[in-house]
Amino acid sequence: MTALETDFKPFKTRVEDALANRTLKVAIERTTGTARLKRAAAVSTWPNFAGARDLGRRIKDHVTSNLDHYLIEFERNAIASGAKVHWASTAEEACEIVVDICKAANAKSVTRSKSMLGEEIGLPLALEKAGITRVETDLAEHIVQLAGDKPSHIIWPALHRTREEVAELFRKHHHTPQNSDEIPAMVRSARRQLREAFLRADVGISGANFLIADSGAVCTVTNEGNAELTTTIPRVHIVTAGIEKLVPSLRHAMVLLRLLVRSATGADFTQYTTFHCGPKRPGDADGPEEFHIVLVDNGRTHMLGGDLNDMLRCLRCGACMNHCVVYRQIGGHAYGGTYPGPMGSVLTPELDGLAGSRDLVHACTLNGNCQQVCPVDIPLPTLLRGWREKSWNEGLEPRSVRRALWFWAFAARHPFLYRMATAVAVRVLRLFGEAGWVRSMPMAKGWTSHRDFPKPASRTFMEQYRAAQRRARK
Amino acid sequence: MTSRDLILGKVRRALHRDGVEPGPVTAIAESLLSEPELGRPPLPEGDLRSLFASRVTLPQIGGTVCVVEDLRDVPAAVRIYLEEHGTESPVALQPDPDLMQLDWGGLAFTSGISPDQTVAIQKALWGIAETGTLIFHSAPNCATLFSFLPLHHIVVLEAKHIVAYLEDYAVAAGHMAVPRNANLITGPSGTTDIEGSLARGAHGPGFLHIIIVDKRD
Ligand code: SF4
Repeated sequence: MTALETDFKPFKTRVEDALANRTLKVAIERTTGTARLKRAAAVSTWPNFAGARDLGRRIKDHVTSNLDHYLIEFERNAIASGAKVHWASTAEEACEIVVDICKAANAKSVTRSKSMLGEEIGLPLALEKAGITRVETDLAEHIVQLAGDKPSHIIWPALHRTREEVAELFRKHHHTPQNSDEIPAMVRSARRQLREAFLRADVGISGANFLIADSGAVCTVTNEGNAELTTTIPRVHIVTAGIEKLVPSLRHAMVLLRLLVRSATGADFTQYTTFHCGPKRPGDADGPEEFHIVLVDNGRTHMLGGDLNDMLRCLRCGACMNHCVVYRQIGGHAYGGTYPGPMGSVLTPELDGLAGSRDLVHACTLNGNCQQVCPVDIPLPTLLRGWREKSWNEGLEPRSVRRALWFWAFAARHPFLYRMATAVAVRVLRLFGEAGWVRSMPMAKGWTSHRDFPKPASRTFMEQYRAAQRRARK
Repeated sequence: MTSRDLILGKVRRALHRDGVEPGPVTAIAESLLSEPELGRPPLPEGDLRSLFASRVTLPQIGGTVCVVEDLRDVPAAVRIYLEEHGTESPVALQPDPDLMQLDWGGLAFTSGISPDQTVAIQKALWGIAETGTLIFHSAPNCATLFSFLPLHHIVVLEAKHIVAYLEDYAVAAGHMAVPRNANLITGPSGTTDIEGSLARGAHGPGFLHIIIVDKRD
């Protein structure tokens, strides 16, 4: 089943499907497990990582609270470098601008280097509707495109696919596919296949990791080198960037790059970090003749100064999802939005509306891991709690939840009732337990069909406490 | 109303102001970097050349290094590398004056760089010891694609151009015109997109070999 099919199912069904999928869990654990280990190792070799993280937070906050200044400064410098700067309030407007540039360039084929903003504004679909062939060049996005999937992680979009599945896809779609299922052979097959696409493309589209205000340059980072082949060869380069991507200068960008890369992959620096500034200069040996930058709002100004202001610091590193117990169980597709994991649960209600995504803000244990590993200290649990309150206040919680909470609140105000209810509950639970674990229980299948839970103690805490006190008194 | 006005209007409403004095904002931005050590990890002991070489050859970065004494020794070092890798195809040489004036013996060159180029030789402007990064600026005699199309990327780096930190490069570059492309390259191309396992040569070069010229004048 592809991610596109999952979209139409309710959250609960998507989660059940994901939980029942053993291969998916293995695939997620392989990639996020390595990412967690590597991040921990990278951070541990930097004695004052905490200080740098705090500096990163302050740099981003400084930009957000002076966003008007930096937007204007960036625009001025970008124009001076020969770039054309466009502004888009909404996702639709951004897509329209990109499609219009492609049409004006008479583009038949465009290459794209991975950009989450592109996914957020629905650019792949917009290009398809305009009849423009789109070739994803990031290896993972290439796999996602061949499979007709959606990305399931913001750093490793194809993390849900096993090597066997990828080998099969390449055999089906590549001109000269690999003749072994070893990963290096598959990577070489993709290299051959995509090299042709790079050369054929009329337009290259990239995102931006940072926009450098004092030079008008756009920073991209990749490990594969696909961004540079995407942006250097075609006649036109289009950048789509969220307005929160600004930084004052190259030196500020360096601090944030260190934090971003360590948090994302555990490396100290990406293989390819490029600052693109304007179109081809007179005499230049290569480079695009036109350079367009589309500055996209799509809800960001609504977050500015409000409850979600802190979220504008997000570097899109993916650490919060790698360390999230929920993401690790259900993977990215179950979230249903562009962005999965904790940061996705915070952003999706803003981007797609709370009514359709209230389940997401509850799919969190509030264990705080995400904030701890976030390189810019975004209080994700607090932001999620904010959404929960909003959902309650706006009456979006279903009646069953409201009723259950009413009963709980009533019992909590009547200690005798509460104690009696818990005492009955532990005894009933124990009936289903064996060897310390409850493996199956009627009415709790949603839990027990995918995992066990510990058999409770024979008496509630309060009962045991009382008994101990009685013994002590004797 | 244009979208530009709309967006800037919303930003200003959210920030509760009509306009902004650039001076104070720039001053605050600058003050954030007043303690540069805060934003970077400490560098281990050692001279910059050895630090650079030991970083870029770490397995996770994957570059190879050889050190020669003089620029004149570069062609011999290149020949050794090509023999080791058993490649006899013609080589793309960046039209850099320092590289062009060398005596390359009988080495065959291609006229430019082609999509299936096997080897390209380029000169880096700087090296960064902190990260093992090489820096190239696009220019009439420096095609960006030299760093991305070939399978083997051979880079000449003068030891005197190795700086300690990324910021040292940023400061040095601040004195020059901003290039169309500034490429910061750290090791050969790699991907972990299939099951998180590392494979080289995804799109860019599969091999990065650095010849450090350690002339002390
Ligand atoms: S919220 Fe923090 S950890 Fe998550 S992607 Fe954004 S910057 Fe990374």
